[in-house]
Amino acid sequence: MIDWIMKLSISKKLAISAFVLGLLALFIGNPSNRNIIDVNTKEMALSTIKKQDRIDALILADWLIKENLDFTLVDLRTEKEFNEYTIPASVNIPIENILSSDLMRNQKILLFGNDDVTSAQAWFILKSSKYKSVLILKGGMEAWKNEILYPKLDTSATLEQKAAFEKTKQVSLHFGGTPQMISGGTATSISVQTTPTAPAPKLSATPSKAGGAKKKKEGC
Amino acid sequence: MMPYFKFDYFGVDFGLVIAFIIGIGFGFALERGGFGNARILAAQFYFYNMRVLKVMFTAIVTAMLGLFYFSWLGWLDLSLVYVGNTYILPQVLGGFILGMGFVIGGYCPGTSVVSASTGRIDGMVYLLGIFFGIFVFGEMFPLLEGFYLSTDMGKVTLPEFFGLSYGMIVFLVVVMALAAFAAAEWGEKVLAKKNGRGIE
Amino acid sequence: MVHGEKNLEPKPYSNPYVVGVGLGLVLLAAFLIMGRGLGASGAISTIVSVGVEKVAPVHATQNNFYKEYLGDGTTNPLKDWLIFEVIGVVVGGFLSGSLAHRIKRTTEKGPNVSVRTRLIYAFTGGIIMGFGAKLARGCTSGLALTGGALLSVGGWAFMFAVFGGGYAVAYFVRRQWL
Repeated sequence: MIDWIMKLSISKKLAISAFVLGLLALFIGNPSNRNIIDVNTKEMALSTIKKQDRIDALILADWLIKENLDFTLVDLRTEKEFNEYTIPASVNIPIENILSSDLMRNQKILLFGNDDVTSAQAWFILKSSKYKSVLILKGGMEAWKNEILYPKLDTSATLEQKAAFEKTKQVSLHFGGTPQMISGGTATSISVQTTPTAPAPKLSATPSKAGGAKKKKEGC
Repeated sequence: MMPYFKFDYFGVDFGLVIAFIIGIGFGFALERGGFGNARILAAQFYFYNMRVLKVMFTAIVTAMLGLFYFSWLGWLDLSLVYVGNTYILPQVLGGFILGMGFVIGGYCPGTSVVSASTGRIDGMVYLLGIFFGIFVFGEMFPLLEGFYLSTDMGKVTLPEFFGLSYGMIVFLVVVMALAAFAAAEWGEKVLAKKNGRGIE
Repeated sequence: MVHGEKNLEPKPYSNPYVVGVGLGLVLLAAFLIMGRGLGASGAISTIVSVGVEKVAPVHATQNNFYKEYLGDGTTNPLKDWLIFEVIGVVVGGFLSGSLAHRIKRTTEKGPNVSVRTRLIYAFTGGIIMGFGAKLARGCTSGLALTGGALLSVGGWAFMFAVFGGGYAVAYFVRRQWL
């Protein structure tokens, strides 16, 4: 048998090897189940989201204004929500597609969803798939809206609070938001805003240089 | 875990060094196969020398088996290997046009580079033609963009498309390739006898 | 001299199946190390896009095709994986050709056609090839070979279309080759 194989021409040997490997593949079926990730549970438990992994909306706003955001800003919400409004420079990757996205393991990623829950899920998925640098936006889109787009100041605020609010106001206006003054009170006073639910500002998500820009494609 | 680059074993700059080395291997293999010679490439389309089919299918089978077994052994995360989206209509039409260019000009882009580097003047002229063709495509792009982006099927592979296991498709491709090789060997012999032409 | 005449004769091309395995291993190396396949026309597209941008910057940025190859402006578009790979192809082809004494300044053609006609055909073919490759998003190396090994539906459909296109017009240009 061995003698017979040795006598064959190189082409025939290659053909036989290919056939054997192909036949074996038929019985193996699927080479890997790509949805199963090996998670080192102990390591994961120790590396739960730390304080420094969470970025305040105001800090993010500051980075965006100064154009020194070196993270890829990822909007985990649905495409519809993304199209309605998103934080400038972000890319839309709905959470269910997070692993099949083009994100690189060496990329710095800043995640946000509507609240902290989605981004925490995505954070866990990415971390357990060995992504190195993943941060989340504290409070998600809710926080962005409350703190940046529609910051509110109680009319009974102290002077210091008012001074601080001036700065927030500038930031808010930069992103096309509407800072509001509300007459604070307890149960009796309903907010005096003219528009109870502020309309989403008409903002075109213009990708800045920092993030969102299209990567060169890898194909031929 | 492989692919190394996607796991950040090295940066973009070292990746370019790898690109150069892999390119050398690619060029070397193409030249060894006779792909720097337009007559051998064109012969594929007149059935008297089936080298293109043999080399291409053997390469596909080799790489496919390699991917399968590396992935099976758990050394490679196959989902991280870049697969382009399938845009079926533009790709079939583009392939048809490209095939016509292949037999008219005698090369494809990769092989024309090899033929030019081994001194073939037709290869150099052909390469210039490709530059011009891509420029023409670029200039016409606003008109073609709609069709170019049509029939996007996403990152779809044969196992997903046919609903068969990966191993089943691998097996079928191997069998198909071996059958094609047997037919090619037989065809070359018959034609050589008929025309009295050597197989180069 | 030490070299006999016979030594400088071009050597015959290697066994196609052995070459195929070699090519497949190169492709596999690209997959395993970089997580991507081989390519050729992409490098030319980048060079064309950079050229257009140099001549007419506004025109280039208005065109989505050129824009895709120019990237986002943070890096030099010529510092590209495929361009370095193609430089390697030039070196590798030359190396293999010299070792087998196959470097020759000549024009490959059939016996019944003039050099001039052959070069016109080559240029025309190149234009058609360039156009088709971009429409299909890849050439024989980037789409058929790479996509074929990855079992991409587009890659396989493309490959059959290439053979279809080739056989469809082979008859009309047979004078060039036979």
